[in-house]
Amino acid sequence: MEPFTPVLPTKIYNDSNVPPGTFSVLNLPNANISLAQIEVAMMLETYHYDTLFDYHGKLSNLQHLKQEVIQEDAEGSLQTVVDEFSHRTKRRRLMGRSGNIRLGMMRHLFVVVDMSRAMEEADLKPSRLACSVKLLENFITEYFDQNPISQIGLIVTKNKRAEKLTELSGNPQLHISTLQKAASKQCQGEPSLQNAMDTAVQSLRHMPGHASREILILFGSLTSCDPGDILETVQTLQQQNIRCSIIGLAAEVRICKTLCSETQGSYGVILDERHYRELLMQHVTPPVAKADTEAALIRMGFPQHLSSGPPSLCMCHLDSGGVKGLSTSGYFCPQCKSKYCDLPVECKVCGLTLVSAPHLARSYQHLFPLTQFTETDLSTIEDGHSIRPQNHCFACQVVFTEQMAYSCSQCGQLFCMDCDIFIHDSLHSCPGCTASPQGEG
Amino acid sequence: MADENISNLLVVILDANPVWWGRIVSEGNQQQQISLTHCVDSLMVFCNAHLMMKHDNCLSFIVSHTSTSKFVFPQEDSASGVGENGQKDLPSDGKYEGFADVNDAIITELKNLLSAEDSKADDHSSEVPPTLLASALTMALCYIHRAERECPVGQKLKSRILVLKAAPDVSTQYMPIMNCIFAAQKSNTVIDACVLDEHSGFLQQAADITGGMYLKVPQTLALLQYLLWVFLPEPPVREQLILPSSMHIDYRAACFCHRRLVDIGFVCSVCLSIYCQFLPLCLTCQTRFKLPALPLARPKKKKKENTAPGK
Ligand SMILES: [Zn+2]
Ligand SMILES: [Zn+2]
Ligand SMILES: [Zn+2]
Ligand SMILES: [Zn+2]
Ligand SMILES: [Zn+2]
Ligand SMILES: [Zn+2]
Repeated sequence: MEPFTPVLPTKIYNDSNVPPGTFSVLNLPNANISLAQIEVAMMLETYHYDTLFDYHGKLSNLQHLKQEVIQEDAEGSLQTVVDEFSHRTKRRRLMGRSGNIRLGMMRHLFVVVDMSRAMEEADLKPSRLACSVKLLENFITEYFDQNPISQIGLIVTKNKRAEKLTELSGNPQLHISTLQKAASKQCQGEPSLQNAMDTAVQSLRHMPGHASREILILFGSLTSCDPGDILETVQTLQQQNIRCSIIGLAAEVRICKTLCSETQGSYGVILDERHYRELLMQHVTPPVAKADTEAALIRMGFPQHLSSGPPSLCMCHLDSGGVKGLSTSGYFCPQCKSKYCDLPVECKVCGLTLVSAPHLARSYQHLFPLTQFTETDLSTIEDGHSIRPQNHCFACQVVFTEQMAYSCSQCGQLFCMDCDIFIHDSLHSCPGCTASPQGEG
Repeated sequence: MADENISNLLVVILDANPVWWGRIVSEGNQQQQISLTHCVDSLMVFCNAHLMMKHDNCLSFIVSHTSTSKFVFPQEDSASGVGENGQKDLPSDGKYEGFADVNDAIITELKNLLSAEDSKADDHSSEVPPTLLASALTMALCYIHRAERECPVGQKLKSRILVLKAAPDVSTQYMPIMNCIFAAQKSNTVIDACVLDEHSGFLQQAADITGGMYLKVPQTLALLQYLLWVFLPEPPVREQLILPSSMHIDYRAACFCHRRLVDIGFVCSVCLSIYCQFLPLCLTCQTRFKLPALPLARPKKKKKENTAPGK
């Protein structure tokens, strides 16, 4: 590799951010590398000064906050409150989706996992960390399911440091196995929000401008041990268009709340494991893109799947060695003809993003979301019409036993609640609308 | 061979496109082509065979038509739950009542459906009207979803869908059918496809993505043979069999501008529309694109994000 040699600070590149006639690092070739180097140097420097932030003093009655949210109902059963709560979130999640909004389809998300001592607590079974890892595995699978051409990276923070586990990539297996390996280690010390975010920023800043940049932090601790002023990092996040969201496992922390609202992320504190799952799964749906995200046309390859022919080695299993990658079938890069077992993947040889058309089609559900069904009282329909009312769910044929059904505003068919959720959650096509010849669901 | 607590739910979707089946009759080559009656007979034998394989196997039968899709079995109004055949009068000919139920229901409903359609049949176009395959698939998936929900604890339900397709694909159904395929994949439902006439790109992808079988029947008169040999075995059993292998599947995408199949295309980062050439403006979402980087320019550091102050 060529060593980095700074060139004369002439303004070779016409950067609009730099006024003419001034010197800036941005004028240098390889500006990103020099910026990163400077930043690393500065960070290392400040780290040892130990201007450490401690939020302990400001967090006196935090446990009360959490208690307030969980009130027991008349019978003293917590379950019903939580049930209703998660049902409401579910519907709200569905509701929030409708409308024709611009989505950040190519997402670059860093998930930061707190591995400080606070994560050892057993208020989630078996421990906060184990529970998080289990949910996160689910999350990663679901994320790639719904965001087929997006990427994820993992960061853990413990002992006042942050460590990048995986770089941004689109391979769910890699993330899951790395995460499991990391989770088997011990939780130690205190987390550092600032270090974790700085680590994420360093990778995210190099992502193309048309992609959405996000950080999601699973935060178990109530304190963060930061080398500098965290508000400066917040500013960097804002400038870099990075959205930061936090899921708190303990109680509400003021700085987290500020952090999220300043960067247009969301902040939630979990009630129990189910609520945790709900909060996490909200991040599966692509966020609405910020207005100033650049748009771009991206060159992509659509490889064909060939299943017969001489056995050949694939590019994806090269590292694992052995004959695992030797097979007669696979996807072939249309540009350089190298073979892969799975899509989507970035061609290791020529760098083309390889996707299949069905992968893209999977994202269309966010662009053309199905309209919400309206809650309908069955008895009122009976009064209004002289015709015998539909007494069973149009989709699954179950005979209605409850008073409420859900009707599609386009085709007017009635559905049971389970079908309503199933149709909007995974099917994304209305059985009634597709049943009319011109219907396109 | 299989676990005791696994029952298999099979949802059969029959494409009863009256125009397509009518055309077969009018073309008059019934020596080579299967008729609807023959096809339904074969399917009924196949369904009975499926029920006979294990006592707790369940069946559902959907007829997909040009104007509607209808559950034929189990009957929507009969109080019976999933897989439970309602108590009815015993059949006169000593047939197993489970089979008689299925066969009677299929025949009566099919007759009703086709005769109702006859009355308003008007051929103003020579084209075969599309079969509403997407709606049949959505209904099948909702039904399977319900069956899995109602499945007693300790029991496992394996579901699959068999589509018997006659009429050709219609491009307007691309989106809902793709949605169905992904929903099926998510719920581990296998979609098998048995195609009588033209190859169906939709079903090829459906079978490939969900791990099902795709077969274009070479001799339609021998339909029953193909059904019994290829589609009767459950997916775990199929691994032991040598079945017709799927040929290569075309995953190429059609560009939105010319509907041309492309190997390498340009994709809008906002709405994922596909184009075969660079455009300054997305035709779908009206987004303006910045010009692509010149291929010669070194990794240009012109990004506006670099406004980070020198701290
Ligand atoms: Zn491979
Ligand atoms: Zn390549
Ligand atoms: Zn239903
Ligand atoms: Zn509808
Ligand atoms: Zn084109
Ligand atoms: Zn677009």
